[in-house]
Amino acid sequence: MLQKKICMLGSFSVGKTSLVRRFVESIFSEAYHTSIGVKVDKKVVRVDDEDVTLVLWDIHGEDVYQKIRMSYLRGMSGYLLVVDGTRNPTLDDALALNERVIQEAGKVPAILVFNKSDLLDKWEIDPARESGLAEAGWNILRASAKTGDSVEKVFSQLAAAMLVE
Amino acid sequence: MPSHSIFESFLVSQGYALFESLGDGKFLAVGDCPSWCRDILELTSQTEELIPLAANSPFLENFLVDAEVFWNSKAEGAVNSGNWVDRDKNGHEVPLEAFALSLDNKRILILQNLSAHLAEQQQWFQTARNSLLAHERLLSEIQKKEILLHCIVHDLSQPLTAITGCFNLLALEKLPPAIEKYVEAGQRESQRQESMIRGILSAFSGDLMEQQASGHTGTAVADLSVCARQAIEQFSSAFKDKGVRLRVAPPLDDSADWRVAGDAPRLHRIFGNLLENTLRYSPPKSTVTIGLEDQGGYFLAFVDDEGPGLPQGLPTNQLFALFSRGKSHSGKAGLGLYFCKITVERWGGTIGAETRAQGGSRFWFRLPRANAKLRDSQATPTEKHSVPLQSSASTSGSTKQISRIGGVWKRLRVLVTEDTEINRELIGELLTKRGHSVSTVSDGLQAIAAFERNRFDVILMDQEMPNMNGLDATRAIRKLETSTGRHARIIGLTGNATSEDERRCLNAGMDAFLSKPVRMEKLYETIESEIQTPNQFEQLRSGPVPLDPAAAEEAAADDESVATHLHRATGGNKKLQDTLVKSFLQDAPKTLSLIRRAIAKRDAQKLASAAHALKGSISIFGAAKAVAIVRNLEAMGRSGHLFDAGPQFRALESEFERMKPELQAVSSVANVKPRAKRKARTKSGRAR
Repeated sequence: MLQKKICMLGSFSVGKTSLVRRFVESIFSEAYHTSIGVKVDKKVVRVDDEDVTLVLWDIHGEDVYQKIRMSYLRGMSGYLLVVDGTRNPTLDDALALNERVIQEAGKVPAILVFNKSDLLDKWEIDPARESGLAEAGWNILRASAKTGDSVEKVFSQLAAAMLVE
Repeated sequence: MPSHSIFESFLVSQGYALFESLGDGKFLAVGDCPSWCRDILELTSQTEELIPLAANSPFLENFLVDAEVFWNSKAEGAVNSGNWVDRDKNGHEVPLEAFALSLDNKRILILQNLSAHLAEQQQWFQTARNSLLAHERLLSEIQKKEILLHCIVHDLSQPLTAITGCFNLLALEKLPPAIEKYVEAGQRESQRQESMIRGILSAFSGDLMEQQASGHTGTAVADLSVCARQAIEQFSSAFKDKGVRLRVAPPLDDSADWRVAGDAPRLHRIFGNLLENTLRYSPPKSTVTIGLEDQGGYFLAFVDDEGPGLPQGLPTNQLFALFSRGKSHSGKAGLGLYFCKITVERWGGTIGAETRAQGGSRFWFRLPRANAKLRDSQATPTEKHSVPLQSSASTSGSTKQISRIGGVWKRLRVLVTEDTEINRELIGELLTKRGHSVSTVSDGLQAIAAFERNRFDVILMDQEMPNMNGLDATRAIRKLETSTGRHARIIGLTGNATSEDERRCLNAGMDAFLSKPVRMEKLYETIESEIQTPNQFEQLRSGPVPLDPAAAEEAAADDESVATHLHRATGGNKKLQDTLVKSFLQDAPKTLSLIRRAIAKRDAQKLASAAHALKGSISIFGAAKAVAIVRNLEAMGRSGHLFDAGPQFRALESEFERMKPELQAVSSVANVKPRAKRKARTKSGRAR
């Protein structure tokens, strides 16, 4: 069966692990448990009548304490750049991280995920900035690991894009 | 049975899993494979079978690539994988770390089960990241308060724009000397109010909080005697009105160096707040005395009055507390003395108040003398009188100079977009009187409609307007321009002159912005900078010179020397060249430092903003190569792609270093000291 490696990238506490858990196990926990390493999960999805195993690399969030090793990106077919929509700085961090990712892994399909879309009253991302990024070519999806909103869509869109590549 | 070293045996006995690489991804277990490892790798026996380690672990498979590189490099030490989590055959998660090393020419891979250690590590990271999140939330709260404050400032600055505009318009008229005096006072006071509003903003702004948090005291230097004089000049009419005598005692020694570590606008406000406070409690026919004393490493400044003295029983520190007001509540919000306290303390000084033995009260503050390094990097004491004063003399002088100049060298078509009617009319009137052709509209939608119907050289665009705000209107206009190839200069109008505002304006596509209340001189200068750089501006003031933008661009593109370019651009005006070079050499290192920090922090917006600022100042000197680099950096900032920013910045730095001696050669900037001595002689001559 076809296998595709997807990396979950972004700042700490943006919800990468929650998105994977929601997608793989349909579970969500309110408690924040920080990740300090890499966890690899797998899930089979069907794309255009073809079964594809997505190998999901949930990589710890980057911050002053832990930097992401670029060797983790080796063999990656696509990535989700996850942002916490209620924390503006996580978008800046994600875009800065994206520069390094492109430098290391080249251009591969990616989706900019604005997670925590259930918290719109605390939303900090400027809509103008969001539309500017979309105009610049970013595929942006708002999702919520908590409610499950658009989570399947995020992974299936990325899977479809990876297969086209 | 293979033989093992003591070290290998020790590791196995400690619960590590050891494997020897035999190539082709096959490994042989060294010693007994621990049960946790067998469960993860799903090994069925303890035989000496070859184990395909990577088969069940994508993470390990990835790490083995790094391990292979390491083993082939024959390097010493070890390479580790970092933490990862795998599942055992029962589905339990096991935290692991792998190490690759060479032992006795064998390629050894060690697996460590981190279960015993992870809890502590997890706790540490959890606490650290929770703290980071709490810090982020705090910053976010501060930001929200700042936004609220900015809204207040915006509301306050709206009527002030009208007041300032009225006085500016009056100043353009031929007025009887008696009336002229009142107009000057009105201009001065409206400027003072503006400065107070900005002061409130800066006192509570994030920048200040950041400085407070980091204990940063800044590198600015201010002259205590100049600020004291300015305050006296500013308040003399108010004291006169109340019948209170304001004097300086003992007389200030002008030859002394009164510079302290602090910045002039805030120091000026400290004196202003203390005088305002004193005036409130001073009875008519009493005297208020300002004095300065040199106390070695410190200077003491005091304001003595002959009022009732401090309220009995009120601790001195409470006088300086936030929102503290006197018993009579005759003061304002209780911010003035609090501002003095936080500012003085931030500069490493102390502040206090006491009831004087002979009656009345003394408010005082003590500030450290500016250290030698700072003094050398800032203006010399003899230049103190060249510090721009917010006084009637300077304001009216400047106004009159412009009014004497009369018409303009190029009639600009200006669209004023402003929702407040009075401000719209006043700005329109000021521009019309200047000789420009002016249209006015009251919101963004109307601005777009006007732009589609007419051609404008400049569009003044308020930020906050009904129907469509200025930022959205700017974006729409920029889109329309892509089909026409035209470029109207759009200048934002904002009540909040913060870097965040500047960023928003520039990101939306504006070319510049003006803070409200709009000052006449600044308005003219900004509007007219469309057609010429400041040096040409000066040149054109003394007589119209045909301006050919194409030729100017061509000249800028040429690699002509700075001296040649400056000479041509300033018409050989040495004084103007001096001013331009001096200002550039003072400001450019700061901007370069901002750019460096922005690149280091991968802050694209700050990079764009700083590069934009530098582009404007550096282009005055031709410097085609430097301009091209700065333009690249600005573009990188705007696009968010900072990949090549580092090398570009290094090229810019070396270009700046190359320019520096050239700049110093064409100006007397390299000889600041001799110039200062010359001034000192002139001054002492005057005194005699």
